[in-house]
Amino acid sequence: MIEFKNVKKSYPNGTVALDGISLRVEDGEFVFVVGHSGAGKTTLMKLLLREEMLTSGRLIVNDYDLARISRFRVPYYRRELGVVFQDFRLFPNKTVFENVAFAMQVVGTPSRMIRRRVPAILNTVNLADKQKCFPDELSGGEQQRVALARALANNPKIILADEPTGNIDPEMSREIMNLLVKINRLGKTVIVVTHEKSLVDYYQQRVVVLNEGRITEDRVGGMFE
Amino acid sequence: MKRYSITYFITQGFKGLWRNGVMSFASVAVLMSCLVVLGGFTLLVYTININLEQFGLLNEIVVFVERDLTEEQIVSVEEQIRALDNVAEVRRTTRAEALEEVKNQSEEYAHLYADITPEENPMSDSFTITYKDNDGVITLSYLLGQIEGVRKVNNRLDLAVKITSFKNGVLLIFTWFLIILFVVSLFVIINTIKLSVFARRGEISIMRYVGATGWFITLPFLVEGIVIGAVASIAAFFIEKYFYHYIEAMVTSDLQMISLVSFASVQPTVFWGFLAVGVFAGIVGSSISLGKYLRV
Repeated sequence: MIEFKNVKKSYPNGTVALDGISLRVEDGEFVFVVGHSGAGKTTLMKLLLREEMLTSGRLIVNDYDLARISRFRVPYYRRELGVVFQDFRLFPNKTVFENVAFAMQVVGTPSRMIRRRVPAILNTVNLADKQKCFPDELSGGEQQRVALARALANNPKIILADEPTGNIDPEMSREIMNLLVKINRLGKTVIVVTHEKSLVDYYQQRVVVLNEGRITEDRVGGMFE
Repeated sequence: MKRYSITYFITQGFKGLWRNGVMSFASVAVLMSCLVVLGGFTLLVYTININLEQFGLLNEIVVFVERDLTEEQIVSVEEQIRALDNVAEVRRTTRAEALEEVKNQSEEYAHLYADITPEENPMSDSFTITYKDNDGVITLSYLLGQIEGVRKVNNRLDLAVKITSFKNGVLLIFTWFLIILFVVSLFVIINTIKLSVFARRGEISIMRYVGATGWFITLPFLVEGIVIGAVASIAAFFIEKYFYHYIEAMVTSDLQMISLVSFASVQPTVFWGFLAVGVFAGIVGSSISLGKYLRV
């Protein structure tokens, strides 16, 4: 469960990125966060990743109070999340297999289990035959599927996707979104930050609209304006 | 069961070195150069110190007795000298030996001394005294002059004091020079490793997003630092050894007044010293360079 309670975030230069938002996302929900550039989407994502600290309010994610979490527990908190970025953020010098395996090595998974589990995850994202490829040998859509496989590697409860279709063609975008919906049906909470109207309208899920740091709409069913 | 394998960190460290080949090579080269210069200066300071100490060892007092003393009287003088405090060693040179020595020193004028009979020998018996404590030399010199039958007391006290203060001054300057050189070397190494870490800041940020702890990120870099340090120090050791032999050969043939320690006698110290400094620099360099990127 994710809960924002009157969360404010302002930066040292005086910019107020989030101006007292309250939002509750239940386990297993699928939520689109939409809004124009500068609406506060990126800041919301950064707060969830605990890359930035909130200025006031409370933010609870899976029993972690992000306003109070100690620096040393942050890595353990991040293991509860699976993250997908617009620019994929894969290790360019690791193969597809190694990129996915890395997330498991970080949490100390025995190599035997890694060797068994990575091919299964790559199969889920239809990349079983690309295990030995390096990221630069793959298309944008394929790279994003590797990133998705890495996000799933440690079986997290929450998947955060920041503009996951921003760098790929529309056809591939649909494929990535289908995978995210599939993951959601497996019981995981999925939050997708996007500005792609067509996708939001097509998938008809809960939509949270941010505007100038405030939630202006929170409804189910798409029709992104 | 969850566990971290040490081989993972070692493998990753070596992979990192290989993948960032140019930066790794640069780090090794910089560290190696610093170590060679540092080692060279340390050996120079050591050699200067040893040479100056040998000067110090020449500090002896020579006492000449009156020419007309009988053998019994001379023996009595020797006994009185031996009885004094601060006397480490007493060596007698008889007048005959002294004359012989002069003859040997100036062979081309040997004929001038050839006709001197033992009765005509102008030399006198003398005692060369080595003392234990530098500070008590003035007292010792005075007491020797008080002994009956002593004609002259020769000491090189002024020279001893000058050499000691010169030695201390040289050592102080060189020690500071060494410290400054070491600090500068460390900065150069830190900057080189920083460049290597900077080139991989993207990787480090990915590691953080997937929940890697600080030490999980740091350990492979530490392995890299240690390997860089070890390789650089071993290379520096062999370069130093080669240079030292070259200088040793030059000194033995051209500058015989300078005595050099043999490299074999300092070899273990140089090797372990280099390894310690190299590995320490590698670890410190990696840790300091990473610090900024580990903040969550």
